[in-house]
Amino acid sequence: MADDKDVLRDVWFGRIPTCFTLYQEEVTEREADPYYLLLPRVSYLTLVTDKVKKHFQKVMKPEDIGEMWFEYEGTPLKWHYPIGLLFDLHASHTALPWSITVHFKDFPEKDLLHCPSNSVIEAHFMSSIKEADALKHKGQVINEMQKKDHKQLWMGLQNDKFDQFWAINRKLMEYPAEEGGFRYIPFRIYQTVSERPFIQKLFRPITAEGQPHTLIDLLKEVSPFAVSQGGGEKKYQVVIHGIEPMLETPVQWLSEHLSYPDNFLHISVIPISTD
Amino acid sequence: QSMSLSITPAQTAVWRKQIFEQLSERTKREVDSFRHYEQAVEQSVWVKKGNM
Repeated sequence: MADDKDVLRDVWFGRIPTCFTLYQEEVTEREADPYYLLLPRVSYLTLVTDKVKKHFQKVMKPEDIGEMWFEYEGTPLKWHYPIGLLFDLHASHTALPWSITVHFKDFPEKDLLHCPSNSVIEAHFMSSIKEADALKHKGQVINEMQKKDHKQLWMGLQNDKFDQFWAINRKLMEYPAEEGGFRYIPFRIYQTVSERPFIQKLFRPITAEGQPHTLIDLLKEVSPFAVSQGGGEKKYQVVIHGIEPMLETPVQWLSEHLSYPDNFLHISVIPISTD
Repeated sequence: QSMSLSITPAQTAVWRKQIFEQLSERTKREVDSFRHYEQAVEQSVWVKKGNM
């Protein structure tokens, strides 16, 4: 049987085949071919699309080039969400490759944060890791690390280096054996049908009686409609990294193995189409 | 008689096995047919940047 550590590798090396197409109303000097890339699920759109930017800017005049942003079927894609989460949430029922439209004008100010440089992504990423560690260990592990360790986490993600990232990240996944898990589980639950961007609450990995909390316990507490059944039929899919873990899976194990590099479990609740 | 809520090894194996299987299916679905695509991040030698 495979080792749990293999899960970390599978999660890290998840890729979404993507076809980038320039928005039809962008002004170009000649026609722009689509651009195909394998995007790392655990990374961020604006961190891994330099090639896309260069490709399309070759056919554009400098004065027509504003900040690049991405859209899928009319939905602006938030660069500060991991790519795998964006795909699971908005496009998990689409045929591959994932078709993303590229824009260089009319930046949707109300939907997206600006991303003028990679240092903005780094700041967002590190702030998520710190928030996660505040939940898991009262921030003690991340605060005791040196600046070079923080940099190694970021560089590991930026350069797609699994070993460099996990050499440090494993410390963020430790907990005292007698406690049986983290203080709280860093998670966010997303649903496209909701006005709220996501739900996040304090949730312990262990019951008051010392038993492991499972995914269904978490959903019943935080997002009960996701596990409600109408006429005995499942109405929603609960997806993490493109898979549907069994609802009996302990949340502590999920947090250790299926968290994104920002140390959060990003859980998508997707309505099952009845068409 | 109290009902035990603990997870037995057999149950553990089921959820764990299913995650392994689903990740393997995910690779087949999302990666195997697209290996000819360019990788977004080049696998360059890892270099640690520092201020001199």
